[in-house]
Amino acid sequence: MVPLALVYHSDLEKNRVGEPVFIGFLRRRRTLLLFIAPTVGVLLAIVIFPLFFSLALSFFDWNVIQAEPWSWVGLGNYSTILFQDPYFRTSLTVTVLYLLGTVPLQLVLGLIVALILNRIGQKIINSLRTILVIPAMMTPLIVGIIWRLMYNPDMGMLNYFLSLLHLHPIIWTGMPATALPSVMIADIWEWTPFIALILLAGLQAIPVEPLEGARVDGASGWQTLRFVVLPLLSPVILVAVLIRLMDSFKTFDLIFVLTQGGPGMRTEILNYYTYRNGFKFFHMGYASALSWLLVIILNVISMILGRTLRSRGLYAAGR
Amino acid sequence: MASISTREIRTTLFVIVTVIVFVFILFPPFVLLLTSIKREVDALSFPPKWIFRPTGSNYVEIFQTSPFLRYLLNSLIVASTNTLASVGLGSLAAYGFARFKFKGSDNLAFWILSTRMMPPVASIIPVYIIMKTLRILDTPWCLVIIYLTINLPFAVWMMKGFFEDIPREIEESALLDACSEFKVFRKIALPLAAPGLAATAILSFIFSWNEFLFALILTGTRAVTVPVGIIGYMKESGILWGYMTAGGTLALIPVIILTIFSQRHLVKGLTFGALK
Repeated sequence: MVPLALVYHSDLEKNRVGEPVFIGFLRRRRTLLLFIAPTVGVLLAIVIFPLFFSLALSFFDWNVIQAEPWSWVGLGNYSTILFQDPYFRTSLTVTVLYLLGTVPLQLVLGLIVALILNRIGQKIINSLRTILVIPAMMTPLIVGIIWRLMYNPDMGMLNYFLSLLHLHPIIWTGMPATALPSVMIADIWEWTPFIALILLAGLQAIPVEPLEGARVDGASGWQTLRFVVLPLLSPVILVAVLIRLMDSFKTFDLIFVLTQGGPGMRTEILNYYTYRNGFKFFHMGYASALSWLLVIILNVISMILGRTLRSRGLYAAGR
Repeated sequence: MASISTREIRTTLFVIVTVIVFVFILFPPFVLLLTSIKREVDALSFPPKWIFRPTGSNYVEIFQTSPFLRYLLNSLIVASTNTLASVGLGSLAAYGFARFKFKGSDNLAFWILSTRMMPPVASIIPVYIIMKTLRILDTPWCLVIIYLTINLPFAVWMMKGFFEDIPREIEESALLDACSEFKVFRKIALPLAAPGLAATAILSFIFSWNEFLFALILTGTRAVTVPVGIIGYMKESGILWGYMTAGGTLALIPVIILTIFSQRHLVKGLTFGALK
């Protein structure tokens, strides 16, 4: 009897007489190659090749405008970035502020919304679910345009509301103090509902027994949340945070429309600083080196995400 | 009785908070729509006008005085061609990963996922140089190709989950009838995964439709897509708010319709299959 596993023809074949082992392996695996190789090939060509191309570029000094040939600078770009470039440090600070100002807030607000919706009842949730996901699915550039409209100092809704409260109008995206918070608010608007949606899905997957148990033991609402719900929800929270963290590093469209990185460098996160070095100043080598720092950071986060997904608890629960 | 009334108060409170949350979510897009049907005088007035004579002139003018139709067509061509390619290649690979376990298959699958995480900014300079060398800058092709970096890993991961949900017994009987693996994939697995395939295609389409950075760098005049076209309405002399909001509203309509169609699979899609 064949157990409950697929037996493929290819697995049953043996090497033919006189056939090299490797060729025999390829022939037996040809089905597998047929399925997987095209995708792997395409990704090698359009993701990995450009990445190594940019790694190579990062060791050169190459300014397109000056029309000079590339000159080899070794690790020069990297040492300039890390030890000499004050703009890089500013940009790093802005990036950290941006991450700290968006992801944790989105998580807390999203959790509150999810907990409330979870109490309200299935029927209402089902009709609201679509609305929760709409900001995240909207074209990010248009999200930026919407908020630029809202922030407009002369005719925007936000200053209108301020005037209703007899407060002074604010030049939201134009003043150093409010520019970064303005971008953050747009980001929070865009992603909090989505976090709430994920956490809501997680909450609804929590089995009833531990909750019942906590109630029987006389746990208060807060205690149940703290000691039963949050631990059970933690894998979902971790995935949400990691995905958001990666996306936040890559924020571009919002900043492009709202502030272009300004005023000064108040909203210029690393991603945007890299873009400006490449396509505004045309320091291609320098921008490549900067982008590789981003690649390294994102790789670390994506490895952690991969490990989390792989750990049995979540990956199995997801299916 | 007292406990019931506190519960009622609490429920009412929850409902009020929920209403506030959804007003907060829906208000900004509503402002976009509202501005798009205002004449310029009304749009620029302060305080904002709530009562005005609505006009469709912005919607007519972006087609007449700017190539908005071409932006729409470009976006449509790029997004649908890319979706076909992503879903085609992606479901093949996904089936491979779902059905053939081999040494390192998990690592390879996670490598594919990790390619999606790479920042576009990191590859944009080489990609620009490569596309220029291939002489396909400012054509839909360069976007069709480069959006595979976003949608191919996505399609693999989505479809992998859907194929894994199909019970193996169905395919085993076909294999015993001496169908080739590819035939089993095409005739049995793919039709069974059709709903998942549709959701994957819809989401891929939306991701292509929404993309901005690659389109900004790789197109100039002929292959301009909707987001880049809309940015063109920010002129040095001032922002054409009427055009921008009308274009924005038109660009959002397909996204919202498609989102409603695929909402059952959205959480899965946006968390790379980690959550359902």
